[in-house]
Amino acid sequence: MHQRGKEPRPTGFLTAPGMTGLVFPRLFRTKPGAWLVSLLLLPGVWAAELPPDAAVDRGVPTMTLTPQVVVHSGRLEWEPFSRDLSAWPTLSHADRRSTEKPRRVSLTGPLEGDATRGRELAMRRDKGFCMLCHQLPGEQWSGNFGISLLGYRLNHHADADLYQQVFDPRVNNPHTAMPPYGTNRILSDQEIRDIVAYLQSLE
Amino acid sequence: MRSLLFVLLCLGVATPQAESMPYREYDALEEYAPSVRGDMWLSGTYRLWADPGRLDWRMAGNPEDNWKLNWKFMDPPFNQTVHGGHFALDRGEELFRALNAKGRFAACLGARQGRLKGLRTGYPRYHAQLRRIVGLEEAIELCAARQGRELQNGSYDNSAVSLFLASKSQGMPIRIQVDKGPMQQAYARGRKLFHMRTGRSNMACSSCHTHRIGLKLRNVAVTTPYGDVAHFPVYRTRFQLQSLQLRFVECNLDSGTQPLRPGSSAYTDLEVFLTALSNGYPVSVPSERH
Ligand code: HEC
Repeated sequence: MHQRGKEPRPTGFLTAPGMTGLVFPRLFRTKPGAWLVSLLLLPGVWAAELPPDAAVDRGVPTMTLTPQVVVHSGRLEWEPFSRDLSAWPTLSHADRRSTEKPRRVSLTGPLEGDATRGRELAMRRDKGFCMLCHQLPGEQWSGNFGISLLGYRLNHHADADLYQQVFDPRVNNPHTAMPPYGTNRILSDQEIRDIVAYLQSLE
Repeated sequence: MRSLLFVLLCLGVATPQAESMPYREYDALEEYAPSVRGDMWLSGTYRLWADPGRLDWRMAGNPEDNWKLNWKFMDPPFNQTVHGGHFALDRGEELFRALNAKGRFAACLGARQGRLKGLRTGYPRYHAQLRRIVGLEEAIELCAARQGRELQNGSYDNSAVSLFLASKSQGMPIRIQVDKGPMQQAYARGRKLFHMRTGRSNMACSSCHTHRIGLKLRNVAVTTPYGDVAHFPVYRTRFQLQSLQLRFVECNLDSGTQPLRPGSSAYTDLEVFLTALSNGYPVSVPSERH
């Protein structure tokens, strides 16, 4: 399982920028015939990469760009976006990277989550950002896409069920709009444990 | 031997990816009508905003109800305030006159005998020379380049020219045909893209705009996809002038999907799909949104 502290990265072969660099020196050491044949096969390999029409800057650590419309200018400027979204499939017709399939998981050992940390993670825009869709205590601008989480503890859900719901809710409902936080590596194992502890603390 | 191994290695890695389609998930695929009236079967709010001149001003002033008017009370003729869109319109006219000094710019955009009236209502359309479908902003970029001027798709000046051209179709219904040929194919692709789940949140446009209309994200209610195209490019305080495809960029970023550059074929397919959902609704610019 993916652990905390790591940036999410795609799992497919040759999807990390560094990997392509590993292939080229090898190409030059092999015989010309092999080089040619490999070249013909390469498009299939390239296809697993970020598509060419994605708005990214490979020179910026967070890759993803956001547009800046400058008054009285014929150029569209772009600035680095606050989060790197480049690792997941886009709408591009040229994007050959697969969506992560739904994953059934089981919570191992005692929960050992920290509800205070869980609340922080639930609020963070780059992590849970739960109040975008759910009502949470102390949040004035909660959304109502999902059910209200006020008094959630009173539902007496098992920790393991909540862990699965946050890790990958598609297993419970294929039509859900909730992100698969674990499968898509938005939250680590420990972070999901913290959020489950927070949910189980909501009076 | 080593080279043979290398080729085999390449084969093993390349073939599955070259041949098999990537795994994708789709939100429940719905049917739509290529006409704004189709909203009667989706959100049913259309009857409340069908006539832009006669909106219920009490609803407009009520924060629980205003989204049901599809925010059309921020369009003319209901909205009479002067905002950034009016300045953009002046800028667009100025740029257009400079570009069209010899009449070539308008001809390149497809205006017959230089007539601009109605031009906006027929975009996106199939461009015979380019052999592909282009939105109005993409056509503006291409035709301006032929006059030696850079007007990048999505830039302020490009959208200003687009806004000026839209104003020449003020009050005229949008009417693109998606019943045959490449336009029909683009519409079908656009509909599918609208339901395709993408990004870190694994959401589709339809997760919000079809299946959760009227529900709120924080304090913002989601509205129907019908009738939107008629007020673009739109003035937004935060973005100055926003073209339709820049709105796709914003929705992508907000829902955790890596955005594409304006003019990409996927965004153009989405534009065709959404424009068909505005067929029959009058162009109303300059408009603003929060
Ligand atoms: C997370 C939910 C969400 C997703 C996913 C989403 N949008 Fe939006 N979209 C919104 C909200 C909220 C607004 C602003 C309120 C409104 O007009 O609906 C909006 C506004 C828009 C508008 C402007 C409407 C107007 O009247 O000016 C367009 C066009 C649009 N979205 C298209 C799309 C497209 C195309 C996609 C898919 C690429 C998409 N949206 C994905 C939530 C979403």
